[in-house]
Amino acid sequence: MSLANGLDDMWRVFSASATGKRNLDAGAVGQDASHCVVTDELLVAVVCDGAGSAREGRAGAGFMARALAEQLARDVAADRDGPAEDRAQDGGRRELAIRRAIETVRSRLADLAASHELALHDYSCTLVGCVAAREGGCFFHVGDGFAIQQGPAGDTVLSRPENGEYADETYFVTDENWLEHLRFTALALPQRGAVIGLMSDGTAPFAVNRARSGFFRPFIDPITSFLHAATASNGNEALRSLLESPRACEISADDKTLLLAFVL
Amino acid sequence: MNTVIPDVALVDNSDERAPLVLVLDCSGSMQEENKIQLLNEGLAALAADLRADPIAARCGRVLVISFGGDANVEIMGDWTDAMDFKPPQLMAGGLTPLGAAMRCALDEVESQKSEMRTAGVSYKRPIVMLLSDGEPTDDWRQVAADCKSAESAHKVNIMAIGIGDKANKETLGHFSNKGALSLSGLKFKELFIWLSRSIRAVSRAPAGGKVQLNPVDSWAQLST
Repeated sequence: MSLANGLDDMWRVFSASATGKRNLDAGAVGQDASHCVVTDELLVAVVCDGAGSAREGRAGAGFMARALAEQLARDVAADRDGPAEDRAQDGGRRELAIRRAIETVRSRLADLAASHELALHDYSCTLVGCVAAREGGCFFHVGDGFAIQQGPAGDTVLSRPENGEYADETYFVTDENWLEHLRFTALALPQRGAVIGLMSDGTAPFAVNRARSGFFRPFIDPITSFLHAATASNGNEALRSLLESPRACEISADDKTLLLAFVL
Repeated sequence: MNTVIPDVALVDNSDERAPLVLVLDCSGSMQEENKIQLLNEGLAALAADLRADPIAARCGRVLVISFGGDANVEIMGDWTDAMDFKPPQLMAGGLTPLGAAMRCALDEVESQKSEMRTAGVSYKRPIVMLLSDGEPTDDWRQVAADCKSAESAHKVNIMAIGIGDKANKETLGHFSNKGALSLSGLKFKELFIWLSRSIRAVSRAPAGGKVQLNPVDSWAQLST
């Protein structure tokens, strides 16, 4: 993760993953992964949830999260270096860049799969991510998980999960028809005091409110206050122990990931 | 370093909703034998009993539709969570536009389902409970047929209940594939406590599972 080189950083990012009880009981490892790149004022963050049914779900999630965040950070940063009027305020251009980056990373993942004599679907994972800078940004999403932008006044922008007919079926970025399930949601201009959260579906039952219209405030508000005063490592550790807590495990047996980016 | 974040509420917000629509006869005849007052007391018992159960209080979603007056069908407030449900004070008077009221109930069920789907909230099959002490004064046959087919398509669970001797049980029976039941005496309170317990059972049922409702002998007149 690189840090901003300006006088004041724009983003402060914390993240943690916890292996759910279902995988712990099966002696398996967590299938979630997250990765974040901050360059100047640009935030690129990705959370992936590897399919439990896929042979290499964890590896797929890990590869997709890291490679996509890095690819996008390069592509979007290069675009932002152009003349200001060309910048990707133009949402269509940003979306195209994201789609191309996913295509690139998917084909690299397919190569990796082939080198192990496996197929892309053996690396199945969901994708929820965001690209954000002063001039705006968007969420991009395939499958389940949640993305929430909460402004300083409590106003929210959401990207909700897309499930199949039954709650335990979802769509994967590794699917043949991933483009049909790729969804974009434009962000509000990030203001000081805003927070952007990305999470896997194991975290959503307690992090999202009952109406599915934003964060559950009795959950997020104490976390926000705590993280404001925390160091990076202490904050990440505290998030992880929260996601691993017995109460969180009681609510959901899934792996849980939460990535929070605060606008300073 | 301290790694425990204090005061974080960890609550499961993902449980499925159990929608309930009450379609209540408020026609003139409900003034007789103090029925409207007993109905109001029954609703108060329902609200209190739902609130007393943490899961039903969170999962129950309630809407009241009254019919009576000058062929009026009135939606009494918005859909509310059971924990916030405050029963309206019903008044009796006028006609019995039962068909229009049930049409309104079917529409409300579908629009509530679509709202919940959009919000990503999952739900159980909604229950529509119809209570009437008389004879419809409007065109009800098509609506009754639609109610039955909505039931066959598993879109809704309809309970049609007649109050007292003057209720036309045969007509009411056309609104549900299960036929109609009769309220024994004026046991409104027993009926609504039973309903609350049914919502409790529905709220706890696993997704996609079948729910066995309690026997209705606390309030139903079974030998007619």
